[in-house]
Amino acid sequence: MKSQPQPNLVRGTPLDEKALRRGKTFSVTYAPKLRYAWDTGQAISRYLAELKKGRLIARACRKCERVMIPPRMFCERCFRPTDEWVYVKDTGRIFTFSLCYVSWDVRRLKQPEIPAVIEIDGASPGMGILHVVKRIAPGKVRVGMPVRAVWKPKPKRIGSVTDIAYWEPIKKFAARR
Amino acid sequence: MPVNMEPRVWPGEIPLTSLYTAGTGGQIFFHALKTQGKLIATRCQPCEQVYLPSRSFCERCFAELKKQVEVKRTGRLVSYTFCYVDLDGAPLRRPVALGLVQLEGATTLLLHYLMDMNGPTEVKIGCRVETVIKPKGKRIGSILDIEGFRVVS
Repeated sequence: MKSQPQPNLVRGTPLDEKALRRGKTFSVTYAPKLRYAWDTGQAISRYLAELKKGRLIARACRKCERVMIPPRMFCERCFRPTDEWVYVKDTGRIFTFSLCYVSWDVRRLKQPEIPAVIEIDGASPGMGILHVVKRIAPGKVRVGMPVRAVWKPKPKRIGSVTDIAYWEPIKKFAARR
Repeated sequence: MPVNMEPRVWPGEIPLTSLYTAGTGGQIFFHALKTQGKLIATRCQPCEQVYLPSRSFCERCFAELKKQVEVKRTGRLVSYTFCYVDLDGAPLRRPVALGLVQLEGATTLLLHYLMDMNGPTEVKIGCRVETVIKPKGKRIGSILDIEGFRVVS
């Protein structure tokens, strides 16, 4: 067997943070202003407005009889507009979850965050929102576990999914196990 | 649109900062500028090019450039522009003049501010300019250690 050719290593000039800090290596920094605004559209605008009021709202399609959350104005299954607004409950079940030991900016976490998709009571099976579960030992989280939304106090709500602070297990269920 | 609905947007921001180093070629230029107030270029003999600011390789033949030469502070205005708006498109109270200059001894052009300009009538392509460099105590090893070019009559 022939020996593999070695890759051509490009020789560079190593730099460390100290050299930059001491000002021995000249550099410039630049921070572009990357601000943006998403148009939330009809469905999500109403969804966010209702969140501010402490309610969850979905859209229903009469043809396939699905209740969809987050709401959308168009049924992707039937290729037709959805028909009506439906309030759904602020309780649900854990559809899927993860124990996450790194934060969004990749710091290690001792206590994991528990992101989960919550299947919402009153919406069609599998319809849910990605959120976070708290007030439970990480090892005790199970798929199918009933949870309820813990809302932020009214003055702190801004019309965002984070107006729900987190989801917590419904105690009755925990006691039964 | 259904009742009690307001059109809305969801604002966001991507935090992004970058840091560019001058590199081995640029380092020579900025070091000489900061410590001695000199303008250092690198020469490619076969290509008859003198690159300012100094760089580490020839853009034409890719040869490594080792021959450093100092260029003069005086030169010729090759082109210029007057800016009436800032980066965000907001009107500037006083227009900013930018000049593209070939300094004596260099074959490349340097872009910088044209100083003490009130309007395009005050300047002509081909006129002589000199480089104004900040006093030593104010130099940090940046292209802004050069204050700009000033037209000399």
